[in-house]
Amino acid sequence: MRNAGVWAGALLLGFAGFIFWQSLSFDYYTVRGPGPGFLPLWLSGVLIVISLVYIWEAIKKEVIVFKQILPKGRALGNILSMLGSIIIFMIVISYAGFVVSAVILLFIVLVREFKWYSALGISVVTSIIVFLVFNSLLGIPLPVNALGW
Amino acid sequence: MDSFIQLLQGFETALTWWNLLYCLIGVTIGMLVGVLPGLGPTTATALLLPITYSMEPVTAIIMLAGIYYGSLYGGTITSVLINTPGEAASVITCFDGYPLAKQGRAGTALGVAAIGSFIGGTVSIIGLAFIAPPLAKLALGFGPPEFFALIVVGMLMVIGLMGKSLIRGLISALLGLILALVGMDTISGAVRFNLGQDFLMNGLDFVTITMGLFGLAEVLIGLEERMNAGKPAKVKGLLPRRDEWKPTLKAIGRGTGLGFLIGLIPGSNSVIPAILSYSWEKKIAKDPSRFGKGAIEGVAGPETANNAYSGSALIPLFTLGIPSSPTIAILFGAFIMHGLTPGPTLFQTNPNIVWAIIASMFIGNLILVIMNLPMAGMWGKIAMIPTKLLYPIILIFSVIGAYSVNNNLWDIWIMFIFGIMGYLMKKLDFPIAPLVLTFVLGELLETSLLQSLIYFNGNVFGFFQRPISGTLLVISLLVLIISIFTSLKKKRGILASDVEM
Repeated sequence: MRNAGVWAGALLLGFAGFIFWQSLSFDYYTVRGPGPGFLPLWLSGVLIVISLVYIWEAIKKEVIVFKQILPKGRALGNILSMLGSIIIFMIVISYAGFVVSAVILLFIVLVREFKWYSALGISVVTSIIVFLVFNSLLGIPLPVNALGW
Repeated sequence: MDSFIQLLQGFETALTWWNLLYCLIGVTIGMLVGVLPGLGPTTATALLLPITYSMEPVTAIIMLAGIYYGSLYGGTITSVLINTPGEAASVITCFDGYPLAKQGRAGTALGVAAIGSFIGGTVSIIGLAFIAPPLAKLALGFGPPEFFALIVVGMLMVIGLMGKSLIRGLISALLGLILALVGMDTISGAVRFNLGQDFLMNGLDFVTITMGLFGLAEVLIGLEERMNAGKPAKVKGLLPRRDEWKPTLKAIGRGTGLGFLIGLIPGSNSVIPAILSYSWEKKIAKDPSRFGKGAIEGVAGPETANNAYSGSALIPLFTLGIPSSPTIAILFGAFIMHGLTPGPTLFQTNPNIVWAIIASMFIGNLILVIMNLPMAGMWGKIAMIPTKLLYPIILIFSVIGAYSVNNNLWDIWIMFIFGIMGYLMKKLDFPIAPLVLTFVLGELLETSLLQSLIYFNGNVFGFFQRPISGTLLVISLLVLIISIFTSLKKKRGILASDVEM
């Protein structure tokens, strides 16, 4: 199963099926006219049909295998480190506040391209500036730690 | 005459120091966005939208609109100087702009583009000022069936014009519509598809989704194919030679008309007028072989056309409340966020705001032409900012942007998921613009459809008994049939790209 198109189509089919099944629990028609189940049922129904056509196309007409589209080597590392940095950011932010978690987020991404001390320097300076601008100047209540940053 | 007086009053508002400042900030950010490959106008407008919460509506929209039309100017510079288009509409400019730069005439290419952009942009705003009010008046008579039909036409145009395959365009559009259903239904009050989560009660937020689909996804794609910008060419002399003036001005004239007309069609995008203008110029040229080797008309025409488009593309938004492209959809969001409803009533309920925005666009175009003519070389240097530094900064801004929509960490997760989704969609060649547009229009589509069906007692053919809705639906059927035909014949050529504006 190396055909990426088929997987994407299956995912779509699953999503459309789920919405279709959920739509059945809403009124399709009420005394006043079409109910909340009307449009979702139709949209997901059409999406089911089109997903099937897409899967057929992906098998018969235009085969896209994972190897063609997935990044390799350094590029893959770049992408995984960026996604990972966001996940770590989200875990840390509730405990350590915005500045610390933003430094971690930026450092993870930057350290792949810069020397570690430059990466750390850029991360710290950027995070503090961004915090001051958004939190203090623009009044967006960014999550903070016990010390207020 | 009425419009003229109101326009003058608009200038009164737009020329206050505060609004001038934000207009300047907006067009400067627009230039930056245009110049920097990897940062698109949709992401930039979405990022700045939450920041405008505390601003006056008029000031906020003046600034966001500045980003929108400013980015069209900026994209030209990198196309000419380093052969890298900063945004999609400037792809065409590379064809002749870069050869001109190699001949040492970068200045001329940029000068002509700036003059053309200014003329195209200004004429189309004049058009906007005089066509929009009567059109809005006409649209006041529209009921739910007409709006439903209009939305369907717009959506089908987007699907028909974008992406290599009709099937993928349709999937993208249907995903947008289904995602728009999440949350409380405005008609029945039923809560749908919220997976039992309270934070999804109000539905998914448009800004969060766009930030993921465009901002984060763009960064992910960019991390993969990191390119090193070439050294920009030197800029000398900004005006064409004496014998080139006449053909240049003619090309600018044609580009203006073409761009303006295409902007009026709901669902069109800024690349279409540029491409059409280029092929038109090539077709009528005495010596078409010059094109691709540095023909000045090949720069003047398309650059004018996409700027002329930018003004008239706001007409469907101002008069009907229907955005044509993802960037205009964010402007739509900005109107709503500030308590204004774009659509036929806008000119009546908030004339001062609309006219001030229109007036600010004249001022913005003037600022842009000044920024471009003498300062083009400087902007070229900005494109040299290494992406390894740029991408992490876009990332942190996207995270804050998503958070600041509701000051809620859940929104960052939603952006994260849509970022991965956008990345995969780009990889599999699914166009993203249809998803965003149908998402914005989803709620209006459902209410207008349900209200119409209630009115017609459930009879679908009722739509065809009203002249305007009937005609529009027939047009959309034709668009659909033509799209099916072109995709079967594999004739979906250069028009089929995924575009943000």
